[in-house]
Amino acid sequence: MAGKSLPAVNSIDREFWEGAAKGELRLQKCRACGKMQFFPRIACTDCLGGDLEWVPVSGKGKVHTFSLCRVPRNRAFMDEVPIYVAEVELEEGVRMVTRIVGDDRDQVTLGAPVTVTFMETEDPDIKLPVFELVA
Amino acid sequence: MLRKKVCLVGYGSTEYSRKSDRPLLSYYAEAMQNAMAQTGLTKKEIHGFSMVTQASPDYSPYVAEQLGLELDWVLNGDCGGAGAVCAIRRAADAIEAGYLDVAFIVAGNAFDKNVAHQRVLEYQRANYVDVYGYGGPNTLFALVQRRHMEEYGTTLEQIGKIAVSQRFNAGPNPQALLRTPMTIEDYLNSRLISDPIRLFDCVMPCSGGECVVVASEERAKQITDKPIYLVTDAEKIGFQASNMLPDKTVTGMSVVGEHLFSEMSRDNIDLLAIYDDYPIAVMMQLEDLGYCAKGQGGPFVDDHDLTFAGDFPVNTGGGEISVGQAGLAGGMLHVVEALRQLRGEAGDRQVSAAQTALVTGIGWLSYARNLNTTAALILERRS
Repeated sequence: MAGKSLPAVNSIDREFWEGAAKGELRLQKCRACGKMQFFPRIACTDCLGGDLEWVPVSGKGKVHTFSLCRVPRNRAFMDEVPIYVAEVELEEGVRMVTRIVGDDRDQVTLGAPVTVTFMETEDPDIKLPVFELVA
Repeated sequence: MLRKKVCLVGYGSTEYSRKSDRPLLSYYAEAMQNAMAQTGLTKKEIHGFSMVTQASPDYSPYVAEQLGLELDWVLNGDCGGAGAVCAIRRAADAIEAGYLDVAFIVAGNAFDKNVAHQRVLEYQRANYVDVYGYGGPNTLFALVQRRHMEEYGTTLEQIGKIAVSQRFNAGPNPQALLRTPMTIEDYLNSRLISDPIRLFDCVMPCSGGECVVVASEERAKQITDKPIYLVTDAEKIGFQASNMLPDKTVTGMSVVGEHLFSEMSRDNIDLLAIYDDYPIAVMMQLEDLGYCAKGQGGPFVDDHDLTFAGDFPVNTGGGEISVGQAGLAGGMLHVVEALRQLRGEAGDRQVSAAQTALVTGIGWLSYARNLNTTAALILERRS
């Protein structure tokens, strides 16, 4: 049986995953126009420029929306349901699809302040950025 | 822009099934055979062919070879759930340009495990969503619906009324897989799949196929005494694509609606075939099309009867949530239902004096946004 889904790390997003493995959340920033973006892409979504740098970000944000997933598409995740899938709006002005974790995750609300943490996966080299409610 | 001389002259549907092991090509062929029987067209008169798909490697030219089609125009239809509307638009362009007179456009789905299907690479979905253990479109639409409910006070009862009305509409539709009457309590009590999306919000995957036939006005008049005219059509792809803080409750249909209704008043539309992978998607499209203000979809639904007998008929055959979603035939189902209604062939669910219909298609849930593809067209019976 196939395991839990893992990213297929590639030349576009390798630095993102290398950062995550070290506990650092990184976003792409366009050197030409300054735009920050996520998910990682081959070019800037504002100017189509290809000169992108990786910058570490605060990992602080707030919950934009969330859902308690009870039937994951990949059934290998069934042991974790309900999974608190969320979109978090980072201070830097981008949103990420992620997961809310922590014993108090059932207290999540829209607008709740959160901070990044990194979750182990079945691959020792891959850690997922996830978010905890700020107490 | 107004279309000048493009008509939809016929359609073909297959039966829908949850268990069939028929191959996909057999659904394409059967839908086309039924459309040929209705239009009286022979295979040699099919000069254009498009298959709407998101699976490779069954590209349209290869399928055309399988079916023995010799063509002047071929299109591998993309745009997901908006693909049927978009393929009709492309065919209409070719017809207006004079390169094409008759095109068959097909879509379908099958559970035939012997046919290899490989979804187009979805890097952003795989690397940045699937890794968290999400529930596919159910979760992605749940993220949208929660925003709508919290921002605007939209209730489950208002969203559920759409599902309940469509189930009522499916009652007289022999093609629909779900025809048992449903109450709002049934809806509210259905189990949660990805909060706040519950079971009766979700489409049921099934096998089946649909075909529509597009023709020049000149050919249309030879083929049928009931040509349905394409009045106007538009699409928006990648709405808010570069916005890292997109409004999750506004879709590209807001732009599509502006184009359509600059040519014909929205109040002149007799029935709406609104792509319904989820009831919240229907509500948001009604808002974006300008039938009410953004966020007022709930009260709008409260104030109208959405059944085929009502003052605002929506998805008169039951839509995808009651008929079943046969892959990308889900988008074509709405075109076919509009054709049935405008041709007066909708049987016990016929909307009286239906002369104009709006058909929408939406597809491809974009990362942290909503719909990457949105398209719509207006059809009219002219006597």
